[in-house]
Amino acid sequence: MAAGANVSCPWPNTEDDYELRDVIGVGATAVVYGAYCKPRGEKCAIKRINLEKWNTSMDELLKEIQAMSSCNHENVVTYYTSFVVNDELWLVLRLLEGGSLLDVIKHKMKVTNCKHGVFDEATIATVLKEVLKGLEYFHSNGQIHRDIKAGNILLGEDGTVQIADFGVSAWLATGRDISRQKVRHTFVGTPCWMAPEVMEQDHGYDFKADIWSFGITAIEMATGTAPYHKYPPMKVLMLTLQNDPPNLETGADEKEQYKAYGKTFRKMIVDCLQKDPSKRPTATELLKHPFFKKAKDRKYLTQTLVAIGPSMETRVHKASKKQPGASGRLHRTLTGGWVWSEEEDEDAEAPESDEDSSTGEDKRPMNELQQADSSGSEDDEEPVTGEKKPLQETRMDEKGGPQVINLVLRLRNARRELNDIRFEFIIGKDSAEGIAGELVGAGLVDPHDSVPISLNLAKLLEAQSMPSSSKAITFHLNSTGPNEQFDDKALIGFAQISIVD
Amino acid sequence: MPLFGKSQKSPAELVRSLKDAVTALERGDKKAEKAQEDVSKNLVLIKNMLYGTSDAEPQTDIIVAQLAQELYNTNLLLLLIQNLNRIDFEGKKDVAQVFNNVLRRQIGTRSPTVEYICTKPEILFTLMSGYEHQEIASNCGTMLRECARYEALAKIMLYSDDFYNFFRYVEVSTFDIASDAFSTFKELLTRHKMLCAEFLEANYDKVFSHYQRLLNSENYVTRRQSLKLLGELLLDRHNFSIMTRYITNPDNLKLMMNMLKEKSRNIQFEAFHVFKVFVANPNKPKPILDILLRNQDKLVDFLTKFHTDRSEDEQFNDEKAYLIKQIKELKPLEH
Repeated sequence: MAAGANVSCPWPNTEDDYELRDVIGVGATAVVYGAYCKPRGEKCAIKRINLEKWNTSMDELLKEIQAMSSCNHENVVTYYTSFVVNDELWLVLRLLEGGSLLDVIKHKMKVTNCKHGVFDEATIATVLKEVLKGLEYFHSNGQIHRDIKAGNILLGEDGTVQIADFGVSAWLATGRDISRQKVRHTFVGTPCWMAPEVMEQDHGYDFKADIWSFGITAIEMATGTAPYHKYPPMKVLMLTLQNDPPNLETGADEKEQYKAYGKTFRKMIVDCLQKDPSKRPTATELLKHPFFKKAKDRKYLTQTLVAIGPSMETRVHKASKKQPGASGRLHRTLTGGWVWSEEEDEDAEAPESDEDSSTGEDKRPMNELQQADSSGSEDDEEPVTGEKKPLQETRMDEKGGPQVINLVLRLRNARRELNDIRFEFIIGKDSAEGIAGELVGAGLVDPHDSVPISLNLAKLLEAQSMPSSSKAITFHLNSTGPNEQFDDKALIGFAQISIVD
Repeated sequence: MPLFGKSQKSPAELVRSLKDAVTALERGDKKAEKAQEDVSKNLVLIKNMLYGTSDAEPQTDIIVAQLAQELYNTNLLLLLIQNLNRIDFEGKKDVAQVFNNVLRRQIGTRSPTVEYICTKPEILFTLMSGYEHQEIASNCGTMLRECARYEALAKIMLYSDDFYNFFRYVEVSTFDIASDAFSTFKELLTRHKMLCAEFLEANYDKVFSHYQRLLNSENYVTRRQSLKLLGELLLDRHNFSIMTRYITNPDNLKLMMNMLKEKSRNIQFEAFHVFKVFVANPNKPKPILDILLRNQDKLVDFLTKFHTDRSEDEQFNDEKAYLIKQIKELKPLEH
């Protein structure tokens, strides 16, 4: 069981022993409360997960919780207990009252001029060193976090720094066995922070993916945002794969904007953001980097971060205003299906993030198209009876803004395996041609097929203005192998675009 | 392992010092703290021997074979599991890793550790009782599921009296322990198809009377999970005779009809997948037929409105249409 269990009074498993206070985070399937545990006389955070809305297998949830409960480290979120209340699961976690690092960044950017950088190097080094210690522990445990970013780094009032949100974390090896399998093959994460090899998904990936995200987080702490935060997810994939690794200046408006940051810091970022994962340092190696000599103690953070952070009230207000669908997350499965699920953002404008830990975000990784992940083939065979999958909702902007259409492009990849690529089309903003270009740019589609995809996408969308129009269109591709038997049913030499609603 | 400096301990020495430390820990005298430290230290050394570290490869097969042999000879695996609650947080995880690694070891097609455990079934029973103790439950679960992958070990567990404790473990209040127990339980009942079918047939009454309690549990998760597993068990072709037996009992049908009306949509949906088997049965016994006939109109009406938003799920809609048709066409038995 988790760390710090008070032997005389363990964390209770009954609803009545807790007093729920403020909502500190809201997501589609969960709400996070600041709470008070009466028998222990102690504050805590409670994440209430609505299991009726949880359509993924319960095993996914168990994995998330086991990932937490198998950790006992001061830089990793502390799990106390979990229990079922009606159709909800209550997770009891340590309450970190300073909120997430992202909350603090956004608040500081709002109240002060951050043009030349959000935090000084000492603050950055202090926080990141703590994060690295957490990562080092995590990795030694055989886990990959897969979603390291400021939004998932929590601050205690005493300057404690903890890595939270295990929603997407993976056991590198099934059954916590470090020997059996060295790389993971599915991925999830937030595109801006995602390592190139995770996007490419050709060879699987390992601990080093977290080091990339860590490097992006370093940039985020200096500039306030991830380098490609302005771009839509597909574009981020493209930029990350095609461009040289980003640096402090990548997202800058002016050339000299961040010149105050020194060489050591920049060098540390360069080390983390190497496209070849094997060249990136491990967390343990990185801790020895000279940049972290600048790190100070917790007390320093209470002055530079916690004191200037937004008040709990502000955050609570924001949390309850948070709109689903404002942003999302891209997931890709082993066989290359893309899943976009609404969630936390990478966009500085969206109402944001919740204080506690594995926060209220909607945790439904890969709720669609989940293919049997090869890694789990031995341990978690999923059921025979047709899995019941939720339909992805079509989203309208709450303020009556542009209509978003969810689409799926189904076609075979170079290895002739069927893939589903999910994407959105925003009426008035996207063009069929542009989308096709992005798909090609992201390496998801053969360049030869750009034209047929763009044409048929346009055709399908245009037809939607008519009553009783078809929701799908099947068409011929250009990029077919020499000996292929065309078959529009089996989608050999053909692809299909359909509207999901 | 350092190349220079302290020379590396042999497997025999390592196992001996770990055993001494665990024994001291078990005695719980004033040296217990030191003993705990020694246990953790030696566990890490053994783990590194098996898995290697970032600086060192795992040890050669010969060393690993010696290590395994020493573990068998000294009965250290059992001793470790018996004292798991006394070992520190990281040490508990190391025990599970060492155990699972040694368990998987093969010589040709033989699994020596599996053979060893067959002669020491206390190991399995001690692991199973680990679910009684919150602080070691998930570590024991990790090891149990690894054991359950081997038919010989799964068989020992299934046919033991202790197996029926799972019906209690899957319902404990701490969610992660209950779910962990459930995944082990499921593994035992589904992994080795022939074994499972034989077991369920031989122990039908006992198992299903226990199972009934899970389906009626107060705990939403227990109800949902056990109902889903029931559907999977009944629809597995290996369990054909179990399924036929299950669907002749009118009490089972009544339970499913009630679950179809549960508040939870997920439970309704899982119940549908069990209910359909009763209806699809071409040789419905009279008591089943009577219930269906008595509710004929209501059922047709209910199913017509049942989960109509699942328009994309073709299989579900086909099945539903089939059930509606079957129920509409039901006629009393002719005399």
